[in-house]
Amino acid sequence: MLSEPVKRELTRIVAPENISFQPEDLLCYSYDATGRRYLPECVLFPHTAEEVSLILKMANAEGIPVVPRGAGTGFTGGSLPLRGGIVLSTERMTTIEIDADNMVGVAGAGTVTWDFAQKAESVGLFYPPDPTSLKVSTIGGNIAECAGGPRGLKYGVTKDYVLAVEVVLPTGELIKTAPGKTFKGVVGYNLTGLITGSEGTLGVVTRAWLKLLPLPEEKRLLVATFDTLERAGKTVIEIIKAGGFLPSALELIDGVCLKAVDEYAKMGLGGVGAAIIVEVDGRREVVDIDMEEARDICHRMGASSVDVAKDEKRMKELWSLRRAISPALKRVGSLKLNEDVVVPRTEIVELIRGVEGISRKRDVTIASFGHAGDGNIHVNIMVNKDDPEEVERGEASVGDLFELTLRLGGTISGEHGVGITKSDYIGMELNRDTLELMMRLKRAFDPNNILNPGKIFKEEGVGV
Amino acid sequence: MKELKDYREEIERCVRCGTCRSVCPTLDTVRRESHCARGRLTMIEAYLNGEELGERYLKYIKECTLCGACYTSCPNEINTPEIILSARAEYVKKKGMPAFTSFTLKSLLEPAPLTKLALKVAAKLKSLFFKSTPFESGLVSRFSLPVVGEGRLVPEPADPFFLDRAHIRRLATREDYGRMKVGFFVGCGVNYLLPSIGEHTIRVLEKAGINVAVPQGQVCCGIPALSMGDSETAKRVMMKNIEVFEQYGFDRIVTSCATCGHTLKDIFKVVLSDEQGMKERVEAFTSKIMDITEFLVDELDYRGEKTDKRAGVVTYHDPCHLRRFQGISEQPRKLLEESPYEFRGMKNPCRCCGLGGGVSFTNYELSMKIAGRKAENIKKSGADVVATACPGCIVQLKDALYHHDVKARVVHVVELL
Repeated sequence: MLSEPVKRELTRIVAPENISFQPEDLLCYSYDATGRRYLPECVLFPHTAEEVSLILKMANAEGIPVVPRGAGTGFTGGSLPLRGGIVLSTERMTTIEIDADNMVGVAGAGTVTWDFAQKAESVGLFYPPDPTSLKVSTIGGNIAECAGGPRGLKYGVTKDYVLAVEVVLPTGELIKTAPGKTFKGVVGYNLTGLITGSEGTLGVVTRAWLKLLPLPEEKRLLVATFDTLERAGKTVIEIIKAGGFLPSALELIDGVCLKAVDEYAKMGLGGVGAAIIVEVDGRREVVDIDMEEARDICHRMGASSVDVAKDEKRMKELWSLRRAISPALKRVGSLKLNEDVVVPRTEIVELIRGVEGISRKRDVTIASFGHAGDGNIHVNIMVNKDDPEEVERGEASVGDLFELTLRLGGTISGEHGVGITKSDYIGMELNRDTLELMMRLKRAFDPNNILNPGKIFKEEGVGV
Repeated sequence: MKELKDYREEIERCVRCGTCRSVCPTLDTVRRESHCARGRLTMIEAYLNGEELGERYLKYIKECTLCGACYTSCPNEINTPEIILSARAEYVKKKGMPAFTSFTLKSLLEPAPLTKLALKVAAKLKSLFFKSTPFESGLVSRFSLPVVGEGRLVPEPADPFFLDRAHIRRLATREDYGRMKVGFFVGCGVNYLLPSIGEHTIRVLEKAGINVAVPQGQVCCGIPALSMGDSETAKRVMMKNIEVFEQYGFDRIVTSCATCGHTLKDIFKVVLSDEQGMKERVEAFTSKIMDITEFLVDELDYRGEKTDKRAGVVTYHDPCHLRRFQGISEQPRKLLEESPYEFRGMKNPCRCCGLGGGVSFTNYELSMKIAGRKAENIKKSGADVVATACPGCIVQLKDALYHHDVKARVVHVVELL
């Protein structure tokens, strides 16, 4: 429970209109996209890094848990106030500056990623990281989780664009990890890289300096279907190996997804084994050559059909296939255990074959799709949430999936992070010494364990 | 009418993905989770579970414009606007409605002779309460007035009201209906504030060979009452309208109000279908409803005279109740192509104007902030005229443009034909 003097002091720091103790507001900050609920005791809406610093100093002195939160779209519980305390919302920190000459953008933590990307685009620049939630999620949240998306294959993920962060440490100090507008810099440890992907456990990012690229001139897109998943998987590898270019997106969709989409949107894909979507971008003269190459490879690899989008409209229609997957899957099972494993590209076929095995063994429906180009597959285990026995089988499948992934040389999370939903499994991937080093880092940053406690690591290890 | 608890399954379908945050006009303005469908559904779910919620619960569910942007973007197709209407009704049923709101609603919706007289006297005394504006014909309240608030630009009330005009009274029935037997549902916006839309609707229809009838005795569509949570009054006025129009045996019933159109087509079913013996009558009535732009394009294939488009530049604002709930967006644009104006689109044409859902009355400041974004986009379009298809949007846009000093006229599409 927050004491009255603490409440008064917090109110003084942010002003009364930027703090709430009301049950309605607490409810609104109790959840994220995991669907789980933990009530905080107070929600704060600071406007500046200085306010955040004062809040953390106070919380550190009083031992109050603080959970930073962007838009609450995470899938692993990173922004859930597991132990009550303070939810620190970055929604008011939404400044954007674009330095076109240096090709750097500076964004407040609460800036919606889409707004930032649009602003860059308005001056001919390009911010590539594109998590599916990009129209909702924030720069701060994307940095905390090191968000990725379909463009990862060619353009990398959030960490590849973060030049520096302004961050408030759990003990209240305000630091900046690098100069910001230089693309290089090797003085001292790479703290920018450490903070990015730390799931809000090492500091509260308040502002970020982000690298921008020239906006690609044109895009081309094709959808190819295959009678078997194996053939589609092999085509993915072949395009990257033999194409002589990196597609800006290379997505694989399995037959379970296609069947669901077909029932949902009637796209004539019912009996198809698998499909791939290939997108290329770049200069006008080049994209057509690349697309032709991709089409030829698909034919050579035995595609049943290849549909090249001739114009923007058709491109949108074909992408809508990808977007229709999530809502379509809702009809397959009421609870979706959504895992985002990554394996080396050459093991994709093996992974999906293994997933089919798990599906048979555990008797659950599993739908797979995702960014096959970089080996990142979203494996969705679909169960009926009102059937506890089926949910149990689903959860057992998650364990099987992680085992399989690690055996193939992969990682159990490519985009979503560990949070609370995967902390049980972290020991499968990281050995004891590695984990111990990470916990020592956490203690060095946050000796009193007040910032986002209970995330990533199971509690015992933190030892404070 | 369905009760709030009947929506439980739909409410529980929300997976908290947050997609609604990217489209909600109130979230964009307030920037708090309490102002998006995900937050509101969470509160409503808690309310249903008997959790202790206070005044802010009511405030948050009232500060929704019911624009439907969340509904059309929701991967789980949750009709949050309908759920919010039900939550408001549930709250009013439990806690009652403030006496003044209730009185104002009743007097406007079911005008007794005395109310009409009062409105008329008020109209004569308007200079006491309002100052006139030089550009748009309208009145700006001099100080905070009940319902109206302070600093709000309102169109000068119709004098006499549209339905009371002698030549409109004569159109209660027609000897020769022309190509089709069509009735006109007027709605409060046209009747009390913007009668010119009604006059133009009749004119354009006559030009297209339809002699439309304007039944006397028709009343408010009922949505203002329902928005405020008064489902009993809503039910009563809806029944009354069905009774009045049923007697005619119209082929079609047209309206020039997007909100009335949505209410007559969809909300009548929500409110009345469970009533004893009403299902067929409601079905027969609602199936005849068409928006004027939909009717002119889809039924009559309306064509204007060839012109050189020199009258000016027109842009178009999509009323939420037309585009999202009735799927009508191409028809009004087609009609503008038939007008003497050059058409130029604006950014985000389908973003809510901020008036709806009663927000204009429950939180005028929020409503105007939402409208401010719209005013910016209208200014950027460089248009001389903003056309839309809803009297509510027109009143709101006039107010917003006045406050942002944007000198563009706001009209209904039919006024340009």
